[in-house]
Amino acid sequence: MRLRGVKRYHWARDVDEALSLLSAYQGKGAILAGGVDLARSPRTDIEGLIDITGTELSYLRADSAGLRIGATTTLSAILDHPQAREYGGGVLIQTLRTVAYPALRNMATLGGAVVSAHPWADIPTLLVALGAEVTYQSPEGEKRLPLENLYQTDFRRVFREGVLVEVRLPPWEGAFAFAKITRNAGDIALLNVCAGLGLREGRIAWARVAVGARPARGERLTWLEAGLVGEPPTERLWEQVAQEVRARLEVGEDRRASAGWRREVAGVLVRRALAQAAGKAAL
Amino acid sequence: MAVVRSRTKEVVGQNVLKVDGLPLATGQPKYTMDMDLPGALIGKILYSPHAHAEILAIDTSEAERVPGVVCILHHGNVPRVPYTTAGQGWPEPSPYDTVLFDKKVRYVGDRVAAVAAETEEAALEALRKIRVEYKILPAVFSIDEALAPGAPVIHDEPDAQGIYDPQRNIAAAVDIVIGDLDRGFAESDVVVEETCEIPYSQHCALEPHAVWAYFDEDGRLVIRTSTQVPFHVRRIVSRVLGIPMARIRVVKPRIGGGFGSKQEVILEPVAAALALRTGRPVKMVLTREEVLVSSRTQHPYRVRVKLGARRDGVLHAIEMEALANTGAYGTHAGTVLYNVGSKSLPLYNKARHVRFHGKAVYTNLPIAGAYRGYGATQGFFALEVAMDELAEKLGLDPLELRLKNHIREGETSPIFERLGEGREGKAQIVRSCKLAEALRIGAERIGWQEKRRTPRREGSWAYGVGLACAMQGSGITGIDMAAATILMNEDGSFRLLVGATDLGTGSDTVLAQIAAEALGVPVEKIVVYSSDTDFTPFDKGAYASSTTYVSGNAVLRAAEEVKRQILAVASEILEEPVEELVLAQEKVVSLRTGKAVSLEEIGLRAMYVANQQHIAATASFACPESPPPFAAFFCEVAVDTETGVVKVERFVVAADCGQPIHPKLAEGQLEGAVAQGIGMALYEEMLFSERGSCVNRSFFDYRIPTALDLPEIETILVPSEEPTGPFGAKSIAEIGINGPLPAISNAIYHAVGVRLTRAPFTPERVLAALRAKERR
Amino acid sequence: MKVYFELNGKAQYVDVEPGESLLSLLRRLGMKSVKEGCGTGECGTCTVLLEGKPVRSCLTFAPKVQGKRVTTLEGLGTLEDPHPLQRAFVEAGAVQCGYCTPGMILTAYALLETNPEPTPYEVREYLVGNLCRCTGYRKIVDAVLLAAEWKREGRWR
Ligand SMILES: Cc1cc2nc3c(=O)[nH]c(=O)nc-3n(C[C@H](O)[C@H](O)[C@H](O)COP(=O)(O)OP(=O)(O)OC[C@H]3O[C@@H](n4cnc5c(N)ncnc54)[C@H](O)[C@@H]3O)c2cc1C
Ligand code: FES
Ligand code: FES
Repeated sequence: MRLRGVKRYHWARDVDEALSLLSAYQGKGAILAGGVDLARSPRTDIEGLIDITGTELSYLRADSAGLRIGATTTLSAILDHPQAREYGGGVLIQTLRTVAYPALRNMATLGGAVVSAHPWADIPTLLVALGAEVTYQSPEGEKRLPLENLYQTDFRRVFREGVLVEVRLPPWEGAFAFAKITRNAGDIALLNVCAGLGLREGRIAWARVAVGARPARGERLTWLEAGLVGEPPTERLWEQVAQEVRARLEVGEDRRASAGWRREVAGVLVRRALAQAAGKAAL
Repeated sequence: MAVVRSRTKEVVGQNVLKVDGLPLATGQPKYTMDMDLPGALIGKILYSPHAHAEILAIDTSEAERVPGVVCILHHGNVPRVPYTTAGQGWPEPSPYDTVLFDKKVRYVGDRVAAVAAETEEAALEALRKIRVEYKILPAVFSIDEALAPGAPVIHDEPDAQGIYDPQRNIAAAVDIVIGDLDRGFAESDVVVEETCEIPYSQHCALEPHAVWAYFDEDGRLVIRTSTQVPFHVRRIVSRVLGIPMARIRVVKPRIGGGFGSKQEVILEPVAAALALRTGRPVKMVLTREEVLVSSRTQHPYRVRVKLGARRDGVLHAIEMEALANTGAYGTHAGTVLYNVGSKSLPLYNKARHVRFHGKAVYTNLPIAGAYRGYGATQGFFALEVAMDELAEKLGLDPLELRLKNHIREGETSPIFERLGEGREGKAQIVRSCKLAEALRIGAERIGWQEKRRTPRREGSWAYGVGLACAMQGSGITGIDMAAATILMNEDGSFRLLVGATDLGTGSDTVLAQIAAEALGVPVEKIVVYSSDTDFTPFDKGAYASSTTYVSGNAVLRAAEEVKRQILAVASEILEEPVEELVLAQEKVVSLRTGKAVSLEEIGLRAMYVANQQHIAATASFACPESPPPFAAFFCEVAVDTETGVVKVERFVVAADCGQPIHPKLAEGQLEGAVAQGIGMALYEEMLFSERGSCVNRSFFDYRIPTALDLPEIETILVPSEEPTGPFGAKSIAEIGINGPLPAISNAIYHAVGVRLTRAPFTPERVLAALRAKERR
Repeated sequence: MKVYFELNGKAQYVDVEPGESLLSLLRRLGMKSVKEGCGTGECGTCTVLLEGKPVRSCLTFAPKVQGKRVTTLEGLGTLEDPHPLQRAFVEAGAVQCGYCTPGMILTAYALLETNPEPTPYEVREYLVGNLCRCTGYRKIVDAVLLAAEWKREGRWR
């Protein structure tokens, strides 16, 4: 296995150098983080690889504004980080330990997952539900915006000349839970859900729900979230939620699952994730 | 021959260290591709993008100009010799419907041309630059389409041989009747019918197909290859390329798994042809994608079983109809078809009226071939699901139903005689069978009675237990032959040369144990070498669960002859009659006087001193009968009624493989086969586009069980004494794969009341079945 | 380009192609225990340790090892002096065809470095990316637990 066509390998010293190399290659260069996607790519047009794992972007910091995770932080490093454990009711750990397998998590970076944004991937669903903000640098300067908004743009183009530097996760009072179904262990999701809520005086104060791999990339169900606020978290409510999701969720089919199965099971997974999040939030 | 006074076995039945264990565990370079040769070329294959097309023209001129390209082969520049890629005995039962490169392609992934180049890059670039003009033909992708009147004829070439009915796309067919089926069903009190279906799936040995072809210092062609059948490789390559067999040497190093996929002679003739044309060493390795798309698969089958029984539960009539999709070529088509019936129906020998009929049909999909279980898996899926249904209709415990009907020691079945290997078989009596015991032990282990009575439910999860039985064979009666050579070294150690092909199964160890036991030495004193057509005697190869039984018997015979020679020398030294001598613990002892002489003294004397001779023998064993191993499978599943997800919570298999020569290896065979069967039941299926192209062509998308998917498989060996087996042994390698499909399907039925008859039982299919049941 | 790294304790200064995989480099250097079962990260036969952590050498660009420590199975033990994990695999019957074994042992090694007392479930969880088609995993789990026991008893070097 090799990426055919590559002529040079660069170790970028910092983001600025990565940016100038990218522009020098005029579309024929690629940012390389963990490389697990690039190494599997059938592309033959990449001439220069620009490794950014030496640019001090591997970190995880917690403060009152939540978590800040550098783009080249590996999934394993997040899993091992004490401050990731508590966040969002433990949802980072719950999710990331089901992503692929240890050796892949030792290589794959959070930034790579954000940029490659596979439609079946769990990480976009997770981050969108969490309201992650991303910071990137491009020839036009630095920009920070919600990941959700970025995904609504032609973001792949952005990263043809830009570098993602950081992912910020806001603090939440409440908890999130993650659920997915795969064909077998270590497989990519047939459907994934991340849902969270906060409770105030026995009622739901806020709720966030994202569903991915349907087969399109994870997106929030804002129409569902709004209706949950003010309701008490009961079995009856979750049952209604399941029905509403079944009735309204946009799903499609691919070779791994039909639209019908996705529609029905999405309701179940959202119900389960919300119930689990409510249980954690009530602690 | 010396009177063997009874003594306990010292090596057989012990878990000695696997003879190749440490070399493998320390990563020694033992596999085909771990060797480098200077000046080697890389061979690559161009595959058809079309499911069915005629090649109008091939233009290689541009490809030839790629720097580093040395040779390009295609139908225009190789001899046309119809053959089969099935590595089987002779005369070959599979049709000769394949040539090296044809003017027609018959599936997406069919071989069009081959390139040898200095580097992989150059070879790949050349492949892109070969211009092929195709005339696309209508294609068929299912059994029904292929059999429909007016369907395109896939094998219309005039020189093909041995196809049952090429005009109707039927590669092979079978129809045998015993008794009177109509009467049988009319006389039955209860009749059930089930149809079960298995899709395209694959062996997935972790080592891809790999081969080296080169010429040695004497100008002989050496083929070092990852194969289960070195001697068949030599015979087939010789015929296809017109090279005398004496000029070919096939070497089998360590193999990274086979499961039948390497009982096919796929790459060897191509690599040999490239080496022949270029005079240079040629190396070919398939990528995983090539393995998935263009090597071999399991035979997809639709099997219908109809059972008739008397009120008391005794089977009276059985009909089994088997329809196979053999894909674009008929390798193993007929033999697998026969085995669907021959390896399953004898299990229930009480039925007086039996019909087995079926066809193996060509389609424009990948080539099905030999796969562990070899038809029995497909037969037992339908048979054992139907038995479950019959038990329900009769109001009998499925366990009871099996106990009432299964074959016993001393009994026979007419099937043995009527169904053989693509032709008639041979009558035989079952001389050893501990299935009843296996059923009882397995039932106890899983807690059958209690779990059957009170199905458990936890939230949306429903639990259930199911069982299935299976048998297999031990080699192919009247066809399989193996030979072994044992040579004594003058220090009292031995060389055991076998053509038997250890492909990871541990057969080298088992054969060494058999030799060691017979020769009264520890296993460390036996150096095993397998297999090299120049140095090891003939062996049919590793398939049909034959190695322990057939090759093992050959080893035992050779060892007995060597022992005879040893005792003769000892008798000279000790000056005592052979009848008084016993060989044990590396020496020969006189029972009368207690005098002893060591093997080393015997070896030295024979080699250098008196009556000089090399103590050595070669012996053959041809398989007169094929004693079946038996197994009972029990599993507990959990079904998520809201999502359709199925988890196998427990899996118990109790098997009678005769006397296990190496219990741990036998367990390992069972565990691996069960795991593979669970994969087939829950995950594995090759999917195709509308144009017949395999779409899940990687492990990313073709899922096989991981460590987390499987429960701790509980294996129980229930020994019997097979009088014809070496030290009482029968086979164990395949049988384990026959149980999981029906056992899991039956357990799902117990849990949630729906019958899954189409594998794999994906969340989607399970949920659909649940919803369909609710609507009823 | 040139890459400098440590392979099984020995310094290496070698030429690599910028798009080359670590798998290809290591096999070129004679480390034939590193196997290619898929080439796309999904089987685990090419697993090696990079700075002590398991990675997939088929998905690792060779230049990435610059200045780092790489361990292959050859670096763990030898035929004459096998590592206890290697012995445990043979004793437990965890080696059938052996093609998955190098990746399994290295992954298990990394597990036992961080978790000396794993439960059977934790072993399975850690090995989930290493496929084995021969054993059904049971004896592999046994082998890892056996080696863990030996390690706790101080029988590792
Ligand atoms: C076998 C396998 C299984 C997987 N299973 C799962 C799963 O279960 N769940 C899940 O959510 N995901 C899964 N993934 C996806 C995985 O999380 C991502 O592939 C991985 O995180 C990519 O990270 P990387 O650093 O290796 O990316 P790279 O391969 O280095 O890069 C990927 C892409 O992003 C670009 N890029 C990387 N970093 C930056 C940056 N900072 N700025 C700009 N561009 C950048 C690269 O140019 C490239 O185009 C799986 C992937 C594989 C290969
Ligand atoms: S070869 Fe690297 S994971 Fe399969
Ligand atoms: S031992 Fe063969 S793949 Fe694991």
